[in-house]
Amino acid sequence: MSESQDIDMVNVEDVDVQKKASEADALVVADIRQNFMLLERAVHTFESRFTTRVLRTTASIRKRLNIDILFQSFRDVYPKDSADKGRLRNYLGKDSGLMDVDSEEDTLDNSQPLPEIDLYLHLLVMIYLLDKQDYEQGIRLSCETINRIQILNRRTLDQLSARIYFYYARFYELTGNLAEIRPVLLAAQRTATLRHDDDSQATLINLLLRNYFHYNLFDQADKLVSKATFPESAGNNQQARYMYYLGRIKAIQLDYTASHAHLNQAIRKAPQNTVTAGFQQAVYKLSIIVHLLMGEIPERSIFRQPVLRKPLVPYLHIVQAVRIGDLSNFQEAIAKYGDVFRKDKNFTLIIRLRHNVIKTGIRMISLSYSRISLRDICLKLHLDSEKDAEYIVSKAIRDGVIDAIIDHEKGFMKSKENVDIYSTNEPQNAFNARITFCLNLHNESVKAMRFPLNAHRKELASAEALQNDAISSYYSIL
Amino acid sequence: MSSNIKQASILYNTLKSEFTSPNPDLKKCGDYLAKLKIALSEMQLLLPEGEINNSDELLVARDILEIGAYWSVRAKDIPSFERYIAQLNTYYTDYSSLLPPSQSMYPLTGLNLLRLLSQNRIAEFHTALENIEPEQLLENIYIKHPVHLEQYLMEGSYNKVWNSRNEVPAPEYLFYIDILMGTIRSEIASCSEKAYSCLPLADAATLLFFKNNTNELLSFARERGWNVSEAEKKIHFTTKDDDHIEIPSDNIIKQALNYARELEQIV
Repeated sequence: MSESQDIDMVNVEDVDVQKKASEADALVVADIRQNFMLLERAVHTFESRFTTRVLRTTASIRKRLNIDILFQSFRDVYPKDSADKGRLRNYLGKDSGLMDVDSEEDTLDNSQPLPEIDLYLHLLVMIYLLDKQDYEQGIRLSCETINRIQILNRRTLDQLSARIYFYYARFYELTGNLAEIRPVLLAAQRTATLRHDDDSQATLINLLLRNYFHYNLFDQADKLVSKATFPESAGNNQQARYMYYLGRIKAIQLDYTASHAHLNQAIRKAPQNTVTAGFQQAVYKLSIIVHLLMGEIPERSIFRQPVLRKPLVPYLHIVQAVRIGDLSNFQEAIAKYGDVFRKDKNFTLIIRLRHNVIKTGIRMISLSYSRISLRDICLKLHLDSEKDAEYIVSKAIRDGVIDAIIDHEKGFMKSKENVDIYSTNEPQNAFNARITFCLNLHNESVKAMRFPLNAHRKELASAEALQNDAISSYYSIL
Repeated sequence: MSSNIKQASILYNTLKSEFTSPNPDLKKCGDYLAKLKIALSEMQLLLPEGEINNSDELLVARDILEIGAYWSVRAKDIPSFERYIAQLNTYYTDYSSLLPPSQSMYPLTGLNLLRLLSQNRIAEFHTALENIEPEQLLENIYIKHPVHLEQYLMEGSYNKVWNSRNEVPAPEYLFYIDILMGTIRSEIASCSEKAYSCLPLADAATLLFFKNNTNELLSFARERGWNVSEAEKKIHFTTKDDDHIEIPSDNIIKQALNYARELEQIV
């Protein structure tokens, strides 16, 4: 008796769960349908805003996507015996028992869908395959989809094709064949440039850079950057990526000021949430090193941010060593965290910091002593010989790190008195830099303002109407 | 085609035997190399593209190019060395899966790094460094040498740079290091001008690595326009910063006009 009750209960629960699942599915299907509508509207009004809205929902749909939903959406869109539908189904595999039932239910007679909707479904299938880690199928599907995109030349497709290129490269990256797709990406980048397809251009440039970086081909990456112009109207996310890549190239080429500016941009443009934690960590790591290489110390607060605190610990140790100017601490940190730095591909940059440590050390000494023997400098900085110390100090003087003079015969360094910085042109320059920054900010924000398309027509029309009124009233008076 | 290959391989063998002999005739080698390069380009192996299945031919081509690179160093022909390295890069990176790793790869990469260093092309030096696996960076003696040199140069331990001359991993390195020495000497000179007010002649000679050769030092001092007083046996450096800060009026006017224009746009 009681047992059968139990079973009943279980059954009820099962049914409940199923019901809930099917409800949730229905919701997603409805969301996707809504997106189809938006895409149609985008095509009819030539307004990219609607496509943006569609793509914005991808993340939330992605989490809830399953094979039934996809099949349901195919049924909504494609005509009864569409080849596309069969193809997409093949990619998903025939493991779903629903297949046969589906085709019988298929009474809706759809007309051939818009290419936008067709490709949107392709995109969803690609995302599904990616989450299912079915990379082989994903590669095949994405290659086919890309061929299709390249034949179509529709501006309303731009954003979708950018996304598709992204997943295409992602599949290849996950299977470790990034080098293969370089020619395809380069060709696609050319086509996108010729078509003024800003979204694809931006995505493709970033994909290419990522591709080159993967194989450490920085000279080629640099050449690409110098030859290809990055579209200004690209989305923030792509811009943030691009800025990060630029920052890395410049850092490797020792152009730290430019690198720093780019990395700052990347930090500001990247969305500040936990989803982008990986990107933020990578940018901050690089930015900390560049800061140090420029002879500045990054702010302590960076290391306290919750997303960053843990991964930045190795970098914190480096920063502390540089700040104090202690060579042995620095070497210890490198030895301890070398593998982490190698994994982050920052190792060579960190090795460069060695002479910054020495420089800071010398600066500290020169600030605290008015006169100190070379022998003591040598001991303090853990240098090998007095002769080395002499050369290093004289180079520091030449490079303007310290203001001092060496007495060779007596073997000491004598610091000159500090110059009052307000008696130089330095404040004027700093002031100028800040004013330029503000003015640029103003100009940029003016440029970034959005005006509704054709809004001025209405005004024109009303103005014309007014004029007509005036003329007619004028005549009526006459 | 096959006769081409045969000819080339005969030529390659003569080149190899000539080059590895204790006293190679550089001029003869140069002639062989020129002929071989023509043969290679006919077989499309000078700058191979796409899929190539015949790894033996690739191997021979790589060997020839490597000998070419070494030959250019010995013949002191830097542009030619640069070209050989560029051509070899295809073999080292794109065809690395087809070919067994070359013995000369790291020595040549190291030489190339040293060349960039001696030409003061630091940015390219670092870009090239990124292409090398991090494990090799600190362990491979051929790579380690230029990497350390760069560090010494950056921090100013010129003494160590000078000493590194005795620790070269291969005799070819000396050629570039000697070029580097000239650069270092002028670096030290420019540092000394700023760091010292005066310097005894003997000390200056040791600082600048003139081994007690006063004549060389004197002519060097004359070149740089130093004030040598024979009586005191000292060099006096004239400090040029006679602190009178000019007001950069031109600049300020330009800036002010610029602000005015921008302000006008805003209002």
